[in-house]
Amino acid sequence: MSQSSATNSEDDSKTANNESVAVDSVIDFKGKHFGLESTSQDSDDYLVSGSEGTMIDVERFCHADYRIEQYAHSVLDFSSQYGIDLSISYTAPNITGRPSKYPEYGDFPQTFAMRTYGAWWDRAPSRLKEIQPQNVSEIPAEDFIVLYFEDYIIPDEIAIFETYNPGAVIRVWAYTIAKTWICLWEDKEFYTKPIYSPSRARRFTPPLKRIQLPTKTIRLEFNHQRLHYYTEIDAVLLSGKKFNTRNMQHLLDYYERQRKVLTLGSILCKLQNMKFRPICRDNYQNRLQHFLMHDLDKFISVLSDVQIQSMQRQQQQQLQSSNTDEMKISKIGLKNMPFEIMLKIFSYLDLKSLFRVGAVSRFLYDVSTHPLLYSELNLKPYWHLASTELLSTLAKRATILKKLDMSWCGCTVQTISPTEFKKFIQQRGDSLTHLRLNSTKFLNASCIDTLGIVCDNLKELSLRNCSPSPPLLNFSCLANLKNLERLDLFQTVIESDLLLTMLENNPKLKHLNLAFCSVAVNMDDVAQHIAKYNKQLISLDMWKAHFLSAQGLLVLSNCHNLEEIDFGWCLREASLGDSLREFLTQCTKLKKLFLAAVRGLTDRDLEYIANLCPNLEQLDLMGVLGISKERYIDILQKCAKLQLLDLCFCDNIMDYDVALWSRTFKVDIKSCQVPNDFR
Amino acid sequence: MYSLGQSSKLISRRFLCSRFSALLEAATHVISNSAGHKSRPYFISVVCGFPKDFLTSNYKPGKYGEDSWFTTSTPTADVLGVADGVGGWRIYGVDSGEFSSFLMKTCERLVHCVDFNPQRPVNLLSFSYCELLEQEKPIIGSSTACVLVLDRESGTVYTANIGDSGFLVVRKGRIVHKSEEQQHYFNTPFQLSMPPPGCHHRVLSDSPHSANTLSFPVLVGDVILVATDGVFDNIPETLLVEILKEVEGVTDPVKLQMTANSLAAIARALSFDKDFMSPFAINARRNNIHATGGKPDDITVVLATVAV
Repeated sequence: MSQSSATNSEDDSKTANNESVAVDSVIDFKGKHFGLESTSQDSDDYLVSGSEGTMIDVERFCHADYRIEQYAHSVLDFSSQYGIDLSISYTAPNITGRPSKYPEYGDFPQTFAMRTYGAWWDRAPSRLKEIQPQNVSEIPAEDFIVLYFEDYIIPDEIAIFETYNPGAVIRVWAYTIAKTWICLWEDKEFYTKPIYSPSRARRFTPPLKRIQLPTKTIRLEFNHQRLHYYTEIDAVLLSGKKFNTRNMQHLLDYYERQRKVLTLGSILCKLQNMKFRPICRDNYQNRLQHFLMHDLDKFISVLSDVQIQSMQRQQQQQLQSSNTDEMKISKIGLKNMPFEIMLKIFSYLDLKSLFRVGAVSRFLYDVSTHPLLYSELNLKPYWHLASTELLSTLAKRATILKKLDMSWCGCTVQTISPTEFKKFIQQRGDSLTHLRLNSTKFLNASCIDTLGIVCDNLKELSLRNCSPSPPLLNFSCLANLKNLERLDLFQTVIESDLLLTMLENNPKLKHLNLAFCSVAVNMDDVAQHIAKYNKQLISLDMWKAHFLSAQGLLVLSNCHNLEEIDFGWCLREASLGDSLREFLTQCTKLKKLFLAAVRGLTDRDLEYIANLCPNLEQLDLMGVLGISKERYIDILQKCAKLQLLDLCFCDNIMDYDVALWSRTFKVDIKSCQVPNDFR
Repeated sequence: MYSLGQSSKLISRRFLCSRFSALLEAATHVISNSAGHKSRPYFISVVCGFPKDFLTSNYKPGKYGEDSWFTTSTPTADVLGVADGVGGWRIYGVDSGEFSSFLMKTCERLVHCVDFNPQRPVNLLSFSYCELLEQEKPIIGSSTACVLVLDRESGTVYTANIGDSGFLVVRKGRIVHKSEEQQHYFNTPFQLSMPPPGCHHRVLSDSPHSANTLSFPVLVGDVILVATDGVFDNIPETLLVEILKEVEGVTDPVKLQMTANSLAAIARALSFDKDFMSPFAINARRNNIHATGGKPDDITVVLATVAV
């Protein structure tokens, strides 16, 4: 349109590129997008567009002209793993280094496996309800792992070696030297693609987005919903152009300058739209002077031309439209709606859209900052954007905060300061009833203290994966919480005494997750306390909790309301005696019973299961030897509601048996054989 | 803190860069960072063996019948290990070879873990044993084990031995170090075991910490033999020393391999010799058991010499 001396065709294409990129890089949320101007929360979108295209010429910083391929060097963080920390079987560090088993396919302990598979945990009595569900993306991530590579590279290819049940990876993120996370790939067809039928190991190479900033930290996100069984990953190979670290500071400075120049305020946006943008690479102050002195008049005339043209177009449209009623109706807009209606409409929006819509007008700002819209806050899908500033902004708005989910925030990189979080809790914590802080890395002792003191109305507290071992955090203030109904301490090390005190203080406890409890916790004591103080317990997860003996199992039969219990890898070598029978006799409501690797199970125990558990829906008998076929058939016949039966590594059953039973009884039966010789 | 490995990577990349100044930089880096001017000793190791049912079985890498072995090395240590699955489980339908194989393979993986301590090979055995509990597929059986670690920094060998496998160190034609056999009774060695569930009280199970540990410095040219009882029970010590002193100071792996092969072959031949008074027979007689001839058993020979 305008033929200013400063523009040229190159700029046109650059503009076009930038616009299309800005849209692609935003992850789609269920809420609506208003395509409005950005606020500071969205600054990273423009960082992406800046870094994507054509503005930064990284080439001159990469002196070396070759590609390198590197396997993962170490694991910085992960959300869940199958094995315990001390072990090298099925644990996260197995993903580092070269693949040990690929291209073989099977269930190998030398790979990385996660805790859950399929949708079975969402069907169990202990399922969780999402907080502020409109925030959750179409394909929610259930697990993640953050990998560290040795060298900085500009990534152009990633290969994920999946050796068992491929298909769980949904997103690949990279952490650039500009301290931002960029999503390099997202699986758009997760629900529409056919289920990948597992029989061969897969070297998965999703097409990555080209970025211009080097990285050496990659994050993979997983969703297991469509998997038949556990997924296992052997190695991750990242390849790209090597980046010379000596030039890092130069690149960062260059990048900062570009970013400042490109920060698109409203004026620059208008300029972009009119394809009038002076090239401001170097020396922009002089250029600006030059522009003000010589080209300003031209610019103003062009601007007025544009306005005249757009007004003409509008009038034309009005003349063309013959339906005058439409014009009348269009006079009643959003700004005429009553406040409560607007609140109701906005309650369907996700956080990002809410901030955007608040930038439109005073009225919309007032609506969008009303506390009722912030009674539930879910920052987990925004883990890469959560920062101290965001937290302080939300603190001002969320005066009646009831439910807060800040899982995964402050992960790997400290973007949220513990003091800010502490202030947040002190201000807004007393009405909190649900609090989820899974895998957060900003918690310190004083934060936990504040939690214990301020949030005494808490009904749900989830601190999964919250402290490394040895325990660095002092949890003792948590003993003040007295109203807990759900307590989740998956993979979190907690002192034995504190745990026992908490059990005593919370008689209304319904759901308790103590998976991967530290070896220092005596599970029999815990079982005694539960039997005495927490009789309303509905679900109990004691996965890999060592030192639970048959005695502990016996006392748990006092909890008659139990519907879900996970004794995987407990009751190690103990012979169970009559404890299982006693337990099953008293807890008749059992729907989910997991007895993976409880090697002491005998035929008699399975007989009890068949006869005493009419409501059983999920049963896990993985790794139990010495059971005869008839017992399995017995269970399948008598437990009419059974949906899942895990018989992996059990003997006395053949593949055709499993297929036959699966068809006849309509139960999902898992079975696998491992080759005898393992290398 | 550049390890030798990282420095060499640096050098190879600089070559591609072809910038002379960078080459110089890298070269000086290496020299200043290498551990003094003393070069570090390492093992040249070879393996040979025969399963008891050699004529009818298939070869499986890493195992000889119910015996298993591993050899591996890291920048700071060289490790050799053997394990002998206890045959008594066969009548219960349990293959002890799986147990010993798992032990050795897990030891090998543990050596490459970050927290490997070359000075405590007992940790290898105990962590390996704990890993057994974390396997989905239940592994039952029992086995002896012997692990030998050369700590390159100090030129010292650390060993852990449980049961009747063992090692020998020969220098200048004499045995300078050897392991002690650990037995509860005759033909019942100390063993790491994982019994089937419910049988714990009936089965002999020794803790990894009951292993004998030894540590001693080694010199260049020393010959180290790590083997299962198939060798020590069939070949008298004098004959062993005769054979081993031939390879003192030998760095040619082919010659070493030939010696290991002959050791294994001799052990096998002697084990089937009905009239030969093997060390096993002598021991049996000491225990009031009338036995002659060799003891047919799986044979595993891991032979190494120390070089710089």
